Amino acid sequence: MEYRAPIESYSGVVREITIGKGEKALKIGGENILPFHFFDEGSLPNPPIFALEVWDMEPTDWPEWLLEPFKDVVSDPIKWAKRCENFGANAISFYLTSTDPATKDSSADEAAALTKNVAEAITIPLIVYGSGDDKKDAEVLPKVAEVCDGMNLLIGPVLKENYEVVGKAILAHGHLAIAQTPLDINLLKELNVKLCHFFPAERIVIDPLSSALGYGMEYSFTLIERVKQIGIIVKDSMTQMPMIANLGGECWKTKQAKESKEQGLLWEGITALSLLLAGANILILRHPEALRLIKETIGGEIWQK
Amino acid sequence: MVIIGESIHVIAKAVSTAIKERDAKAIQDLAKAQADSGADYIDLNVGFLRKDPEETMQWVVNTVQEVTDLPLSLDTMNPVAMEAGLKVCKKRPLLNSASGKTDSKEQMLPLAKKYNCDVVISVFTDKGMPSEAESKIESIMDTVAYANELGIPNEDIWVDPIVLPVSTAGEGQKLAVSNIEFMKIIEDVLPGIKSTVGLSNVSNGIPVELRPILNRTYLMMLARYGLYSAIIDVLDKELMGICKGERPNIVDLIYRTMDGEEIDLSSLSQEEINYVKTTKVLTAETLYSDAWLET
Repeated sequence: MEYRAPIESYSGVVREITIGKGEKALKIGGENILPFHFFDEGSLPNPPIFALEVWDMEPTDWPEWLLEPFKDVVSDPIKWAKRCENFGANAISFYLTSTDPATKDSSADEAAALTKNVAEAITIPLIVYGSGDDKKDAEVLPKVAEVCDGMNLLIGPVLKENYEVVGKAILAHGHLAIAQTPLDINLLKELNVKLCHFFPAERIVIDPLSSALGYGMEYSFTLIERVKQIGIIVKDSMTQMPMIANLGGECWKTKQAKESKEQGLLWEGITALSLLLAGANILILRHPEALRLIKETIGGEIWQK
Repeated sequence: MVIIGESIHVIAKAVSTAIKERDAKAIQDLAKAQADSGADYIDLNVGFLRKDPEETMQWVVNTVQEVTDLPLSLDTMNPVAMEAGLKVCKKRPLLNSASGKTDSKEQMLPLAKKYNCDVVISVFTDKGMPSEAESKIESIMDTVAYANELGIPNEDIWVDPIVLPVSTAGEGQKLAVSNIEFMKIIEDVLPGIKSTVGLSNVSNGIPVELRPILNRTYLMMLARYGLYSAIIDVLDKELMGICKGERPNIVDLIYRTMDGEEIDLSSLSQEEINYVKTTKVLTAETLYSDAWLET
């Protein structure tokens, strides 16, 4: 009997989202197949994108081999961002680390002005992450949204604790939101439901939190996989957003990455590849060599299908 | 349906304090309130009772028996406390509970035979809690066969598939479905067997105002397949009304939702819409979140 490979076809679609404006605009999402299931019926119109991290202050706890590619520019976020652009990043993920009350507690105004300068200096889209301190972010992120009015930045984290104030500012000034919950599909859906009471689902990216290889990566993997499946197969509207895997920081704080450069690159590369296979649409990395490594691993032609 | 009132439970601070201080009135008030609300049994969940197990259990049993003639469900994992309680029950009690764990088979099940009482047997075994319906059935059949050999007939056994919180990330909804599947099969594989569940656990851990509708919906879903009894909050009037068959329209709506019928929500009241949405969460048709009524 002739063997015929089964071909699946699903009716759920991940929302297609455009980050950035004009020539900087980049699309993500839009797929109606599971990750890399090119053999099924449907398409993945926009390949996953890779962002590199830039901080608004000099990092103090990065190992020397991670700092090395940027060491002459780490005190200047604009130069640092341009450097990352030259390394082939599809987007820059800008961290307002200095606004954290636990670091420099710098002001919302400073952060917003700097963010605008970085956004204007690069020719690729900008992702902005606040410090993660929910109270401080509730001051900083709305200010960033306002000062960068209309630039269509991807801004987060929008949390259960501050989604109303942060979400409203992001929307009012024409940006996109990163909705972040702690590794739990039920909480993830709940935040999306609550956010969508006033915020369009078409402007949300899910950050389910990413863990590094050996430090809980399998939880992130299964969660991303499940969110994608429920969106595409079950058609749950509240899980049909693209997902962002913010993994660089998690990888480079491991013992292994701090021990040697080779381990660090492999840690970041393998974690990224795994979460890519699970279904992440945006991957945030730190090291340009890890970025090159993973791009080589995947190859370019697979996206032509 | 046979209703077992759950309110006398050591997890409630008022109850544990009342037991510790031998405050008879506090316990009796709870027993009377439940009897007045239509309970068929009063559950006495006294905990493990490491200290004075016999004296304490007998005090609780006697205290409750002073104000009600209802039979009691003695709820402790401690076989010493259990036997002490069984000795002083005036009506044929329910031993709550035994399981397939070795300790339980050796120490609890013989008590059910010795005191000729009904017994709850849960699906737990030494290997833990089976999660799939098939493995639940397998483990309960083993334990029931063991009980039969001791001389306990199926008619005296109330099997408990173990209800766990539906909100447990990832697994909760699958477990909720597995109990429905369990109920569909159990009567066929163990003729004459009875069944019970600790209903409120399905909504454990979620915002308190959202708990009742989950409890009520899940009860109707389990009852569809012949659930014989349930340990519930008998002070929830709406829930008791459901048990008494006062909400046939809601029951019908839930059954249709379970059967996958596309229900036109625009023709329904808000209450009916909420029951449809809750049913879909409990059949795992929609992914659970605490905001399930808001979408």
